[in-house]
Amino acid sequence: MERAMERQKILLRHLNPVSSSNSSLKHEPSLLSPVNCVSEVSPMAAFGDDIVIVAAYRTAICKARRGGFKDTLPDDLLASVLKAVVERTSLDPSEVGDIVVGTVIAPGSQRAMECRVAAYFAGFPDSVPVRTVNRQCSSGLQAVADVAASIRAGYYDIGIGAGVESMSTDHIPGGGFHGSNPRAQDFPKARDCLLPMGITSENVAERFGVTREEQDMAAVESHKRAAAAIASGKLKDEIIPVATKIVDPETKAEKAIVVSVDDGVRPNSNMADLAKLKTVFKQNGSTTAGNASQISDGAGAVLLMKRSLAMKKGLPILGVFRSFAVTGVEPSVMGIGPAVAIPAATKLAGLNVSDIDLFEINEAFASQYVYSCKKLELDMEKVNVNGGAIAIGHPLGATGARCVATLLHEMKRRGKDCRFGVISMCIGTGMGAAAVFERGDSVDNLSNARVANGDSH
Amino acid sequence: MPVFKAPFNGYSVKFSPFYESRLAVATAQNFGILGNGRIHVLELAPGAPGVTESVSYDTADAVYDVCWSESHDSVLIAAIGDGSVKIYDTALPPPSNPIRSFQEHAREVQSVDYNPTRRDSFLTSSWDDTVKLWAMDRPASVRTFKEHAYCVYQAVWNPKHGDVFASASGDCTLRIWDVREPGSTMIIPAHDFEILSCDWNKYDDCILATSSVDKTVKVWDVRSYRVPLAVLNGHGYAVRKVKFSPHRRSLIASCSYDMSVCLWDYMVEDALVGRYDHHTEFAVGIDMSVLVEGLMASTGWDELVYVWQQGMDPRAS
Repeated sequence: MERAMERQKILLRHLNPVSSSNSSLKHEPSLLSPVNCVSEVSPMAAFGDDIVIVAAYRTAICKARRGGFKDTLPDDLLASVLKAVVERTSLDPSEVGDIVVGTVIAPGSQRAMECRVAAYFAGFPDSVPVRTVNRQCSSGLQAVADVAASIRAGYYDIGIGAGVESMSTDHIPGGGFHGSNPRAQDFPKARDCLLPMGITSENVAERFGVTREEQDMAAVESHKRAAAAIASGKLKDEIIPVATKIVDPETKAEKAIVVSVDDGVRPNSNMADLAKLKTVFKQNGSTTAGNASQISDGAGAVLLMKRSLAMKKGLPILGVFRSFAVTGVEPSVMGIGPAVAIPAATKLAGLNVSDIDLFEINEAFASQYVYSCKKLELDMEKVNVNGGAIAIGHPLGATGARCVATLLHEMKRRGKDCRFGVISMCIGTGMGAAAVFERGDSVDNLSNARVANGDSH
Repeated sequence: MPVFKAPFNGYSVKFSPFYESRLAVATAQNFGILGNGRIHVLELAPGAPGVTESVSYDTADAVYDVCWSESHDSVLIAAIGDGSVKIYDTALPPPSNPIRSFQEHAREVQSVDYNPTRRDSFLTSSWDDTVKLWAMDRPASVRTFKEHAYCVYQAVWNPKHGDVFASASGDCTLRIWDVREPGSTMIIPAHDFEILSCDWNKYDDCILATSSVDKTVKVWDVRSYRVPLAVLNGHGYAVRKVKFSPHRRSLIASCSYDMSVCLWDYMVEDALVGRYDHHTEFAVGIDMSVLVEGLMASTGWDELVYVWQQGMDPRAS
């Protein structure tokens, strides 16, 4: 019966072509009433004005100050992925209506300038504007959502949502943020916005009963999955090799290198070693350097346009942007954000959480990641299947775009078995962001093959 | 004029290249949405307005297209909804058929076209976004062409160059291919909506026609593909099939979901030179005889196959 519905859908598109004005059919065959068929085809019929992703790429993610990008400047990082999305689709760069870049730590004006510089490095002409967006850890995803919304609003036809962070170049203040306004101390929730992120992780663990063992186990799993993904070569589809340099800290000698592998992954991570680590945010707490995300450098970029334009250009459709939601939560337990945002985004898309086949949930800290998955009763075989930020790293502004590349390429590999995916992050100061994507038309040949999963519990 | 009533809805009709009086018809149960299919081989009675069925073959799924071999007078090839491509020998009874079946396409096969010059190969196009090249002496497809991003509704050989074909797709592109090249040699964004059919001019090997969901037929010259040579307006719904005449250089036949068959001369100002409204449901199959000038056949979801002479009323008896 599914095949019959698919055939009806294809036929209906001949009769009610996308984006044309509807005229009533005078002699329609009774079996095919467009109204009835369209309602049966729901929830996700394909329409020409869908916003689709035709390319999504990222750099490798490397350890800040010690990894492969420690001497690479952020504009060089960003330029590599901006260049990739237009080169690999043979798109004329001048057709891009805007480049929106998620980025968090650098001073705002400085980073906006660097992103414009990156666009020139990547070959974009004067006519293509650039702007930044900062919604903390979800900035890269917010950039993608902003581009999707702008295309839908008709501001332009093609846009790039990107993200970049160089935590080698720019540092998070060590003791947490310092509000400039002393009145923040008078409002408890305002004061909680200033808490170091690690403290919020401890709050989540304590309040919701996430144990140290659960957190360490999540960390081990993240590293194991990431190592397997690297070893299998899966990530080559999404990662753009970056030609850059590395400087010897003592001799100052420069050496040319090409970085194409995430270098924060520890394949040998295990419970015994993790148990030895001190809890640095709270005495007798549970959050450690080992079960928290890594401070990293990296970039990602996503090319979006309307489906009708992608079809006209003959571009394979990697995914469809279906919905996006940001929800507020208590700042002191900001990590629960995904548990609130994911149901909001799926609802906007007309789906239930149980309809989702694959998740990328940022592992800012194991505590909030474990809590979010338990709260939503997610099947862990569907979450962060190629590792997460604990293993790969969390370059704050780039993570959202990185997750789009990771999610859509994995959905493509899984083919027809995997139709909807979700990306979500918690956000400092107390928010969660989530987006729902649908698999595009371009799937790998083994369309019903289940990915062989070597993991066993 | 001969009329044949089929038990299922018609999808395609093809004149035999060897016998003036023979046609093959592809049909599908329940409008091709769900159920079985059947291929009919019809004979036109000489001199009289009758048509008889000489043989028929049942299939487990819809038959969306059928074509005759250009090298064996009794061989038919069918494009089936279950993704299979089947070869029939009409000289053999139904229990001996199909003589071969290929199961390579991942989704519905929409069209099949035999190579008229080399006579040893054929193309199929599918909703799996691919076109496949087959040789009669090979057990599997020779090549798969994968550039389209949506259903490929038609793939058709160039009438003079044995290695060249065109494909029409729901991704709104018309592509020209040379089987000796790794990729398409030309991409024409021919319509703003899905392209449902294409056909080459029989007298000028650089000219093609496309038909679309946008209700138009467009005529293209690959030597100057930026702008169409002609845009033919007149159909009230998507144009399902388009066919160039084998006898007159600029004559085109088309059939549409508006239930009509139209004749066009794209080189004259008032291009619509004939309109036939004999079908009472979607008209989805059209062909013009190579052997008898002006002889046309059409089929549609009204389960009828009409054969008539241009200029006459198909329903006249």
